[in-house]
Amino acid sequence: MPGRIGVGATDEDTFDRSKRIGWLDLTSVSKAKVLMIGAGALGNEVAKDLVLSGFRKITIVDMDHVLGSNLNRCLFFSTEDAMRKRKKAEVVAEGLLGLSAQAKPLPIVGRIQDQPVGIFPDHDIALGCLDNIEARIHANAHSYSSGVVYIDGGMEGLLGKVMVSRPPRGACLQCGMNRTHAKIASMRFSCTGRDVVFHEPKLGAEITTTSLISAIMVRESLKLISGRPDMLLNNAFYYDGQRNISEEIEIQLDPECPVHRADQRATRKRKRYKST
Amino acid sequence: MSSVSGGFLPVRIKVKNAETGASVEMELETENTVDEIIESAATFWSKDMGAYVLRKGKKVLRGGSSLKDAGIRADDVLELIPDPEGG
Repeated sequence: MPGRIGVGATDEDTFDRSKRIGWLDLTSVSKAKVLMIGAGALGNEVAKDLVLSGFRKITIVDMDHVLGSNLNRCLFFSTEDAMRKRKKAEVVAEGLLGLSAQAKPLPIVGRIQDQPVGIFPDHDIALGCLDNIEARIHANAHSYSSGVVYIDGGMEGLLGKVMVSRPPRGACLQCGMNRTHAKIASMRFSCTGRDVVFHEPKLGAEITTTSLISAIMVRESLKLISGRPDMLLNNAFYYDGQRNISEEIEIQLDPECPVHRADQRATRKRKRYKST
Repeated sequence: MSSVSGGFLPVRIKVKNAETGASVEMELETENTVDEIIESAATFWSKDMGAYVLRKGKKVLRGGSSLKDAGIRADDVLELIPDPEGG
């Protein structure tokens, strides 16, 4: 028997267009718990796309406050927020409530490295919207060891990358890192009294690249939460807006990567306990 | 980095700079690593401090791998690309 609808009924349904995508499981999406790490340019766009796509429970972790220089790429920030030095996580959470009455954002002001490690297994997916390698390494390692898929976004002007780390198999973000990453991470660590050396990416975030990279991150989240891991990015998506190139590039699992070495040690330990 | 004095036959490759389209030829030994190629190319082009990766076709090469382990052969063309860090 054919279904029955009233005239204009589809126009009243907020999620009508999403429901037309056959594989999207909006019930699972509405129940999923998302950990969003970083509430800067990428975090603003990712948060907006998450809520408009039907996600509700979003934990937002960020330590920073809003700056005037954030305003040309951050939807939820205002001049007043910058003047009052309001915390990014709290401003984004407020903005999400303005987008949807069903949104349940939880802002956490602080560094991801300072949160209890239990925060990772408490979520269904983790999204890295970060601007530094040190925090990325932390988020990637703890997501992987918790069995939580980690989707990392990164940008440099018109260049962008999205990497999906899918435990327990496959490469993780750190498998694709080398000595240049280690050097930058060590600069963040080199604090001796007042001699703190920070590395600032040359170009950082730009809004058109941000929109594209955030959209891909949220689309991958929708696939995962809808039970379609077969459709997920296998490796990394790379975008070069200057050359108009976008492609999937392969990052192979590195058995020497610290995340996988730790994983192997844990597996051996589990086997030992099992055999005794 | 390159030498024929130790009895090694140098492996000649080309590295392309993805940001500018420029390229440079390098003479390497099979024991040289991907990390060394990245650092040499970045220095040659006076690149800003940042994260870079080296790719061969669609594959990102592991930093610690030697030429041999990474499957790099003579006349290969590798590409140096920035690994975007901003967010």
